[in-house]
Amino acid sequence: MRRLLVLLVLALTVLLIAQVTIPREETVYIAGALWGPATTWNLYAPQSTWGTDQFLFVSAFQYDLGRDAWIPFIAQKYEFVDEKTIRIHIRPEAKWSDGQPITAEDFVYALELSKKLGIGPGVGWDSYIEYVKAIDTKVVEFKARADALNYYQFLSYSLGAQPMPKHVYSKLEAAGTIKDWVNDKPDEQVVSGPYKLYYYDPNIVIYQRIDNWWGKDIFGLPRPKFIGHVIHKDNPSASLAVEKGDVDWAGLFIPSVWEMWEKKKLPIGTWYKEKPYYLPDGVSFVYLNNTKPGLSDPAVRKAIAHAIPYEEMLVKAYFGYGSQAHPSMVIDLFEPNKQYINYDLARNTWNTSDGRIPFDLTKARKILDEAGYKPGKDGIRVGPDGKKLGPYTISVPYGWTDWMMMCEMIAENLRSIGIDVVTEFPDFSVWADRMTKGTFDIIISWSVGPSFDHPFNIYRFVLDKRLSAPVGVVTWAGDWQRYDNDEIVQLLDRAVSTLDPEVRKNAYFRIQEIIYRDMPSVPAFFGAHWYEYSTKYWINWPNQDNPYWFRPAPWHGDTLPTLFGISSKANPQPIPKWLETVDKGGLGIPTSKVFADLQAAKK
Amino acid sequence: MASKPLFKFLLRRFIFLLVTYIVATTIVFILPRAIPGNPLAQLLSNLSRLAQANPETIRAAERTLMAEFGIDKPLLVQYVTFVFKALRGDLGTSISFYPRKVIDLVVPVIPWTLILLLPATLVAWILGNTLGAMAAYRRNSWIDKGVLTTSLIVSQIPYYWLGMLFIFFFGVRLGWLPTQGAYSLGTIPNLSWGFFLDALKHYVMPFASIVISAMGGWAIGMRVMVVYELGSDYSLFSEYLGMKDRRIFKYAFRNSLLPQITGLALSLGGILGGALITEIVFNYPGTGFLLFKALTTLDYPMIQGIFVILIASIYLANFIVDFLYALIDPRIRLGQEE
Repeated sequence: MRRLLVLLVLALTVLLIAQVTIPREETVYIAGALWGPATTWNLYAPQSTWGTDQFLFVSAFQYDLGRDAWIPFIAQKYEFVDEKTIRIHIRPEAKWSDGQPITAEDFVYALELSKKLGIGPGVGWDSYIEYVKAIDTKVVEFKARADALNYYQFLSYSLGAQPMPKHVYSKLEAAGTIKDWVNDKPDEQVVSGPYKLYYYDPNIVIYQRIDNWWGKDIFGLPRPKFIGHVIHKDNPSASLAVEKGDVDWAGLFIPSVWEMWEKKKLPIGTWYKEKPYYLPDGVSFVYLNNTKPGLSDPAVRKAIAHAIPYEEMLVKAYFGYGSQAHPSMVIDLFEPNKQYINYDLARNTWNTSDGRIPFDLTKARKILDEAGYKPGKDGIRVGPDGKKLGPYTISVPYGWTDWMMMCEMIAENLRSIGIDVVTEFPDFSVWADRMTKGTFDIIISWSVGPSFDHPFNIYRFVLDKRLSAPVGVVTWAGDWQRYDNDEIVQLLDRAVSTLDPEVRKNAYFRIQEIIYRDMPSVPAFFGAHWYEYSTKYWINWPNQDNPYWFRPAPWHGDTLPTLFGISSKANPQPIPKWLETVDKGGLGIPTSKVFADLQAAKK
Repeated sequence: MASKPLFKFLLRRFIFLLVTYIVATTIVFILPRAIPGNPLAQLLSNLSRLAQANPETIRAAERTLMAEFGIDKPLLVQYVTFVFKALRGDLGTSISFYPRKVIDLVVPVIPWTLILLLPATLVAWILGNTLGAMAAYRRNSWIDKGVLTTSLIVSQIPYYWLGMLFIFFFGVRLGWLPTQGAYSLGTIPNLSWGFFLDALKHYVMPFASIVISAMGGWAIGMRVMVVYELGSDYSLFSEYLGMKDRRIFKYAFRNSLLPQITGLALSLGGILGGALITEIVFNYPGTGFLLFKALTTLDYPMIQGIFVILIASIYLANFIVDFLYALIDPRIRLGQEE
């Protein structure tokens, strides 16, 4: 017995040797982009593990929101054959991580597979693209559909195309196992980006840089050798990790984030040092169900727009992290977008200096009075048809504390103008079901964010009845308030099928007139692009003073260039030149140049 | 001679367990579906918010997913599929973590849950019962008062608060112990003393907090039971006979232990459900968080899968207890269980 014990101890000592750790100084630790176990590293899935889309698979061109430009990544250049046909030339250096060249076939295959499976990179392309074909091994051609001409979609599907390794996927396709493929064996991963999986378990996902990446002579290498995402279970534990300096790069909602550097003197930062601290992201709406009695009246909806305490709500519930949205729905915090707003119209309609909707309860009551809604004995207004305004519910998912507080504030103000509103906070899946089925009364919810096709993307998402569905039928695609207007549909089609900037602008201006007339839902505030960094181990993070990349949050799909710009504290490196636009010696091609080239190709 | 009633008893228990197992799995199938939500909501909302919100992408994904998970099929078909697959050991594919199999998600966290909760539950049970018995034996002494009041207080402290106090004092203020995770940042789990010691350091706080909060309940229960037994007829009779206190206490203790064993078995059986709050507060891996995620996203296959495992383990524990009872309790062994 004793001999056995000695043997066992001996065996264990031999087995248990060195500990395996990755070097802290060469690793960027991340929080806030992954909140549960990893799913798959295969993009043919509804939800791939964070990092797959960001770092493992890159696209032909990388869109740069800050400069409104396209950086040729896998592509070397584009060429328009005519105004409906684009050819993408692939860089001769471009290789998969197993050494095979990236070819035109990989582009064609990736899209055809998405179409066949109904899921995957670029899925839905066939609604706008007639065909994708290989001209030779390094040139791929896209042709826009003449019957559904949409230049934005045409460009985003072609310039943003992601090739997939055909030599890997065709074997899986033959075996019929693509959708079940988890692709979690680092040795077997074949990627186009500068990172691949190193290790994962229920606590962490770690990626390792590919040091002989094909693009290193063009772009250099991203600075961190490892990137590790600790899977936190809730916001407080992730915030604590940021505070302790265990996390270098985060995308979290942190209450009173400024205290980190102002009070606690920690080496932590966000984009701005002052309010609003964060860059804007999407527009959050107060959606009003257009099919509910009362809320179906534009006058009631306009009164509600005046009764939302924008400023107070953003300061108290949102820590000042966002600002009031513009009623035109256009994100006017980015300079290039301002041209799409008819400011004269907005000023005249809303009587404010920048055309934003004023919080004005007197005005709200006046609108209701004029529309014939008289206060009843209980203070609740009754319409000309004898129907009461309410009871309605305003709801957001339980636990979304900032939005829950906003609901309380909105409800209180609406009650004060005679609309009967109570708050309700169901579980997320219940709330989401009501939202997408159109059975809610009033909700706060997201829409879309800044993008190269802005404001088309937001007009389409919020107003296009073709994305809608009858009440009771689920639609995630858009028009949750069930707004029904054929003119909008025509205007949207006109805006995307023209190459004339004036025609496009006029279509947007007309849409704004309709929005101000009908107020289908209320564009309430710009949500924040959650992004925090620590300079304990890594420096040169993009921010207000060093704005070299405008989508710097770890969770965002366009974040990869951030990792080429930061430096290890011990070894500062310059920010790469290629991030700039062509006229400043970089690689980025402005969207205006792309459209000009398209125009020039018109025969 | 005693084997025949014992066998009959066990057989009856077995059939009973089988029937309740079927009933329980049916309930687990029906309940989450009775919630008016959509299990695809989480997936689609992620697509809607993060994947550049291209309506075509979302439309296509919506259609594909509905068909993929068979949510568009009649309930009866879904139920029969579930039962037959579960019998073959196939718990299906998670919706929220598609395309991962439920079993592949649950298995990696089970060792963490077992390593944390098995010793913690046993230690809390042993310590709690010992203290409770001691308190009852020395009734109204300072031991009794001390044990009773501390147990009452400790068992009423909200657990997350206790955990946070631990983190604040031992992790943040004193800096003795790591505040989160099961091992240090940047460490890859491996078979080495270094890793073992590192994991042990991370183990102390979650372990201690569970033991402390669970101990109080056991102690109070045991004390009440022993006091009751000491006041019962046989104890009084023994006392009149002039039996030594220690001996009477031994009888009382053994009798009080029976219900505590049942309690222990239930606790042990439920271990696989994990310790959700410990896992969240200490960011410790385990099944609790997975179950929580499954429930909040209405991930039907995952809810079903975890519950099937959980129910099976509770029943197994129960069955073992029944067996132990049959051995310990002469009334059952001799076929007079009523």
